[in-house]
Amino acid sequence: MSTMGIIFANIYDSSLGELTNKRTMASLPYGGRYRQIDFSLSNMTNSGIRHIGVITKYNYQSLMNHIGSGQEWDLELEEGGLEFLSPYATDHNASYRGKLEALNSAMSFLKYAKEEYVILVDSGVLCAIDFNELLEHHIASGADVTVCVKTGIANGEKQLDMAVKVDKKNAVTDIAVDYCADESYLASMGIFVMRRDRLIREVTEAVAHNRYRFERDLVMHGFADGSLKINAYKFQGVALFNESTAEFFHNNLALLERKIREGLFRRPGRTIYTKVRNEIPSYYGESSEVDDCMVADGCVLEGTAIHSILFRGVKLAKNATVKDSIIMSDVTIGEGAELENVILDKDVVVGAGKKLRGTYEHPLILKRGEIV
Amino acid sequence: MNFLKKHCVAMLLAGGQGSRLLVLTENTAKPAVPFGGKYRIIDFPLSNCVNSGIDTVGILTQYQPLELNEYIGNGQPWRLNRSHGGVQVLPPYAKSKKTEWYKGTANAIYQNIPFIERYDPDYVLILSGDHIYKMDYAAMLRFAEQKNADCTIAVRTVPLAEASRFGIMNTNEDGSIYEFEEKPKHPKSTNASMGIYIFKWSVLREFLIADEEDPTSENDFGKNVIPALLSSGHKLYAYKFEGYWKDVGTINSLWEANMELLGTEPAFELDSDKGGRIYARNYAMPSSFIAKSSSNKDSLIGEGSGIYGDVKHSVISTGCTVEAGAVVEDSVIMPDVVIESGAIIRHAIIGEGCHICRGAVIGGSFAEGEEKKIAVVGKAKTIEANKTIAPGEVC
Repeated sequence: MSTMGIIFANIYDSSLGELTNKRTMASLPYGGRYRQIDFSLSNMTNSGIRHIGVITKYNYQSLMNHIGSGQEWDLELEEGGLEFLSPYATDHNASYRGKLEALNSAMSFLKYAKEEYVILVDSGVLCAIDFNELLEHHIASGADVTVCVKTGIANGEKQLDMAVKVDKKNAVTDIAVDYCADESYLASMGIFVMRRDRLIREVTEAVAHNRYRFERDLVMHGFADGSLKINAYKFQGVALFNESTAEFFHNNLALLERKIREGLFRRPGRTIYTKVRNEIPSYYGESSEVDDCMVADGCVLEGTAIHSILFRGVKLAKNATVKDSIIMSDVTIGEGAELENVILDKDVVVGAGKKLRGTYEHPLILKRGEIV
Repeated sequence: MNFLKKHCVAMLLAGGQGSRLLVLTENTAKPAVPFGGKYRIIDFPLSNCVNSGIDTVGILTQYQPLELNEYIGNGQPWRLNRSHGGVQVLPPYAKSKKTEWYKGTANAIYQNIPFIERYDPDYVLILSGDHIYKMDYAAMLRFAEQKNADCTIAVRTVPLAEASRFGIMNTNEDGSIYEFEEKPKHPKSTNASMGIYIFKWSVLREFLIADEEDPTSENDFGKNVIPALLSSGHKLYAYKFEGYWKDVGTINSLWEANMELLGTEPAFELDSDKGGRIYARNYAMPSSFIAKSSSNKDSLIGEGSGIYGDVKHSVISTGCTVEAGAVVEDSVIMPDVVIESGAIIRHAIIGEGCHICRGAVIGGSFAEGEEKKIAVVGKAKTIEANKTIAPGEVC
C-alpha cells in the first residue's frame, strides 16, 4: 500500500498570539531544538512516506528556511519528495478559508500523485506515531475515513476542533466540532487517513457546495448523511496538544517528565529529526547551577536555571536565575536578572538585574528580538 | 570529461594508523577519533578547507576506512556535496598492473595524480588528519602566490628545548627556507613544520614522479620530497602560523586538547566567532536533560545526554548518560557512554559506546605538577561493577 502525506502548516495560528505573529504554527519552536512540523515530517518519513505536501497559507518564510531542501528528513525538494503548496503556487484565489479549500488549491498535487492513500496531519499535536499501524487499522476497519484520537484530552473545558464517540469496534457514533466536549468524548488529533481517490471526490464535491472546513463539512457532513463510514484509531502513546499559549507553555515544561520526554524522543525507529545548526556543545561554568532542565547545544551557562527549557545558543550570565520558563534560541540574559514563568522568544535580550515574572496560567511572553 | 579548473585542491592524509592512540584506534582510523564533545578530528581540517573557500578535497584513507567513509558520506555536513569537486574519499585501488597500498605520504599523492589532474589546479594543499586547529588556508595561499613559492610550509614557533622533536625549517629573513632538519639534535631555529604544505602543482607533480622512480626513497614528504626540492634550488618558504595548533597523536595530547576547550577563556575556542565554524555530522538527538541531582562545573556537555551525577572539568560527548551518584572529573567521555551510579572516573578517556558499571573506579587524582597518567578505556567496552582501572592503565 502506498501512502502520501499532507501537512497543514497554519491551523491554529491565531490562538497562539504573539508566538505565531511572524511564523506558522508548524514552525513554532518546541522542546529546545525542534519546530512543531519536525514531528509530522519525521513521523511520515519514519513510516516510509516519501511524497509529502506542506500546505501553507501565510508567514511561511521561516518554515521554508527551516525545512531547507528537506535533507534532514532524507527528503529532497528537487526530486518531488517534498513540496510546498503555498496559496500563490496555484491559479486559485490566494486566501482559503479552511482545509477543504486548501486541498482544492492543491488538487493537481493530489491528482498527479500515484499513492493509494493520503494521511492528512495538522501541526498542533505533537507525537511519535507509526502511520503504518494507523493505515492497517484503517484498511481492516473498512471505513472511508479514519481519525486518530486520544483519550483523556476532552475535559469539558478545552475546546476541541473535533471530538467523537465510538462503539466497541471503534466505529464513530457521534461527532462534534468546535466543542468543549466532556470526558465521554475522544479528542481528534487532527490526523486523518483516506483513500486518495475518495478524498479528491469528497473535496471537489464539498468545495462546489461552498463547504470549506474539513472536520465540519467533510467528515461530519458525510457522517451525518450516511455517505461516509468513520472509524477512530486510538493512539496509545504520548500526544501533546499545543493549541494555545498556555498549552504550549505547559507542554514544553512537560518534557521535564521522563515518561513524556522518552515517549516523544526515545521511541525505537521513531527518531524526530530537525534542522542542524552546527552549534558547539553547551558550556557549564564554575558558577552554573542547572537543575531539572532541558538544554540544547551552543549555550553558555554561568547562572542558575531551574525547571526550564533552554533552546540553542542561550547565554545565561552569573547570578541570573531562570525558573519555570521557556527560553528560545540565542536569548541573552544579563547578570542578576530574575525570570519566572516567562516565554522568551528568539533573540530576546534581558538586561542585567531585570526582573520578569508571569504565572503558570499566564506566562509572560517577550516577542522575538525584544530588548528589556 | 571536461571539468572546470580549480585554483587549489586539498589532499588530506588520513591513512595513518595512529598506533600511539592505543585502544582508541583499535578499530578506528585516527581522523575518525571523537573530539570535543561532538566532533571528530577530521572535522577540523575539513571545516578549515570550507572556511577558506576550498571546495575540492581528496581524503586519502587506507587504515580502517569504513567508519571514516561512512562519516564523510557525501560531504553534506561540510557543504562539500558538490557536483563538481566536493569531497572524495580516495582509498588505494587496484590498477591494471598491480595493487598497491600507500607506501608513504608522497606515494599516496602520487597514486592519486589522476584525481588531481581532473581539476587542473595551480596549487595543491597537503593536510594531515590528526591536528586540532583553525587556520585560514586562503591566507597561506595568498602568501605562496606573493612569494611565487614552489612550496610553502606552515610553521609555528616551538620552545627551543623541544625543537629537536620536530622537523625544523631554517629560514632567511624573507622567510625563504635554506635548510630543513628532521628532529635535529642541535636545532638552529624554532620554526617547526606543521605538516601543512602548499605546492605549485606543476612542481609537485614532477617531484612525485621522480620520487616514485627512486627505489631508495621512503616516499615521504618530510624525508624525501621537501629535501629534494631544497637541494634542487626550488623556492621554499615558511609561513608562520600564530594560532592554537595541537597534534593529537598521543593519549596525553588528545586529553590535553580536550581540556583546553574548557574554562571561560579556553586556550582553543570552538566558537564560530573565533576563526570560523567547525562543522560535524550531526545525529538527531534531543536536548540534554540536566537533572536536579546533578552538578556540572566547568564542563562541555554534548546533546542527547542525561546528566544525573557530578561532572567537573570534563568533556561529555553526545548521547551519554551519567547516573546519579556517579562522578566524572578531568575526563573525556566519548559519545554514547553510560556511566552507572557510584562509578568514579578521574583523569581518563572513555571510548565511544562504553558501559561503566556501578561502583567502577577508573583513573585517579594527581598532585599539582605531578605527571598526569591518563587511564583509557577502548571503544564499546564494558567495565564491570566495582572494577578498578588504575591511573594510566589502558584497557
